[in-house]
Amino acid sequence: MEFKKFLIEKLTLFFMLSTMITAAVYLIGSAYDRDALFGYDALLSPMRYAALCILPTFVTWSRRELSMRELLFRKALMLVLVEGVILYMAFTSPVIDTGRMQVVMTLMGSVLVIFLLVNLFLWLRDLAEAGRMNQDLENFRRLHDEENRG
Amino acid sequence: MDVRIEKIGKEEKEQVLIQCRSVTEEVEEIAAFVKSRQGSLTGVLEGRRFEVAVSDICYIESVDGKTFLYTKEKVYETSSRLYELEEKLRTRHFLRISKSMLISLLKIQSIRPAMGGRFTALLYSGEQIIISRNYVKALKAALKGE
Repeated sequence: MEFKKFLIEKLTLFFMLSTMITAAVYLIGSAYDRDALFGYDALLSPMRYAALCILPTFVTWSRRELSMRELLFRKALMLVLVEGVILYMAFTSPVIDTGRMQVVMTLMGSVLVIFLLVNLFLWLRDLAEAGRMNQDLENFRRLHDEENRG
Repeated sequence: MDVRIEKIGKEEKEQVLIQCRSVTEEVEEIAAFVKSRQGSLTGVLEGRRFEVAVSDICYIESVDGKTFLYTKEKVYETSSRLYELEEKLRTRHFLRISKSMLISLLKIQSIRPAMGGRFTALLYSGEQIIISRNYVKALKAALKGE
């Protein structure tokens, strides 16, 4: 894949992640630290997390097209790296109470859920694309049949 | 065997219908001849050369420098290179869908998503072929008749 195309995909992923991380922060924060107060600076944290989570996704880049097995392996590796990045940020953050195992597990679970959701959204996008192609395929066949008759 | 030629209207599909009590070698030969009139490629199967009707070919694959023609039930080897066949069969609705594969658009039953921006073509023969993401754009254009 062209690197430029790959970067554009990562930009799309960045916005998806920012949205989902915002939702995750809201849910986790509401559950464990409902009364916490933050400054405007906190608004940037989902984008910061998203940007850092994008970095491990570069392991899926390859000039040649990866086989299904290679792709699965690299995606798994990417998930492990993203979990690592999030845990590193959590353990170095003064705001997140990593002393509680439950918080750490919830964070790791959230990463997995977001990972699955991103892949689900991408698959749904491709499913819609496949639907359009099937429609075009049907039209193509109809035109071909008409040409043969005519 | 009687031979009957019947004129039909423009809206109907032209066809050659063979009505027989059993599908003998002779019947198969007649069918092969009719198909070969619509274009064929020479393929080798178990050391024997065959004229494979283009309309019977589902896809063509190049593996380790060898090129194979896949019909619904048989696989023939051909001496032609993939790029030559791509050029030759362009007007017969064959399209490259990966570095090593050409597919007949008329043999695709449906398309569904695979992983990583790829798609899977489900053929009428029941086989599933991966469409490489680099060729998806060309496939979309071909289906739209562009």
